[in-house]
Amino acid sequence: MLLGIILALLAGSLVSLQNIFNNKVNVHVGSWTTTTLVLGLGFAASFTLGLLFEGKGMFDLHALKLWYCFSGLIGVGVVTCMVQGINRLGPTFGVSISMCAQLGFALLFDSMGWLGLDKVDFTFKQLVGVLVIVGGILVFKLGGRKKPSQENAQKSLGTV
Amino acid sequence: MKGILFAFLGGAFITLQGVANSRISQGIGTWQAAALTQLTGFVAALVLLFIFRDFKRQGFTQVKPLYLSAGAYAAVIIFSNVTAIQHVGVTLTVALVIIAQLVLTFLMDHYGWFGLPKKRMGWTQFAGIAIMILGVVILKF
Repeated sequence: MLLGIILALLAGSLVSLQNIFNNKVNVHVGSWTTTTLVLGLGFAASFTLGLLFEGKGMFDLHALKLWYCFSGLIGVGVVTCMVQGINRLGPTFGVSISMCAQLGFALLFDSMGWLGLDKVDFTFKQLVGVLVIVGGILVFKLGGRKKPSQENAQKSLGTV
Repeated sequence: MKGILFAFLGGAFITLQGVANSRISQGIGTWQAAALTQLTGFVAALVLLFIFRDFKRQGFTQVKPLYLSAGAYAAVIIFSNVTAIQHVGVTLTVALVIIAQLVLTFLMDHYGWFGLPKKRMGWTQFAGIAIMILGVVILKF
């Protein structure tokens, strides 16, 4: 339990750093060059760490299924949708809506047990928890802040 | 309206990506899953890059190497995200990832780290964080 919590917080912190840094790259080289660079480096780093921790096991792909190879394309969907959404709505609204959708779909996936997940029974308490978090996101994002500067446009190109 | 649809779908894809990564990890291992999905994503992005002819090579010299290296964090992000989903489920993982993300962004904006323009945060941001944490407590305990 605690390990899961710590790792999720670590992932979120790295995502926010990555968003800020990628955004700086994006300004200079454009969004598709940035996406290509980010995914290429992500592959290189994952492969290297995998070799380090798993050795030859890294090449043991006998359990490979065809759809695994296409799952990476979801990332292209993420980038396209987020870039379009943020261009049309601005970063504050765009990211708020995306975050609420992430949570809603998370609850849906947990309660349906889709894609072989351990099914977590849907309870009223969970729904209230998610709605309260959504409320918190909206207060945080939309609450009386002075004009958000464009420089900070967070593009949430995250890989998570 | 179109923008709302795009942002909504983007969020749906982000969650789907975490769940799919977690499923693939069960099959072939977490590092393998992280490497494989990013390799296909990389190839697809490369193809799109050629189609859109969006490549600006001279821009690279204007960016600090630290910022260029951010893509590599994805290895740790995917590994942590998948392991967290397997331990505490999708909902709690997504909630915590979002909270950590907002809190760190908040600190970076507030103190103007990494050359970001300093933005004073108001009490609504503190209230928002408190409400989100309350939501996690309701969700889990």
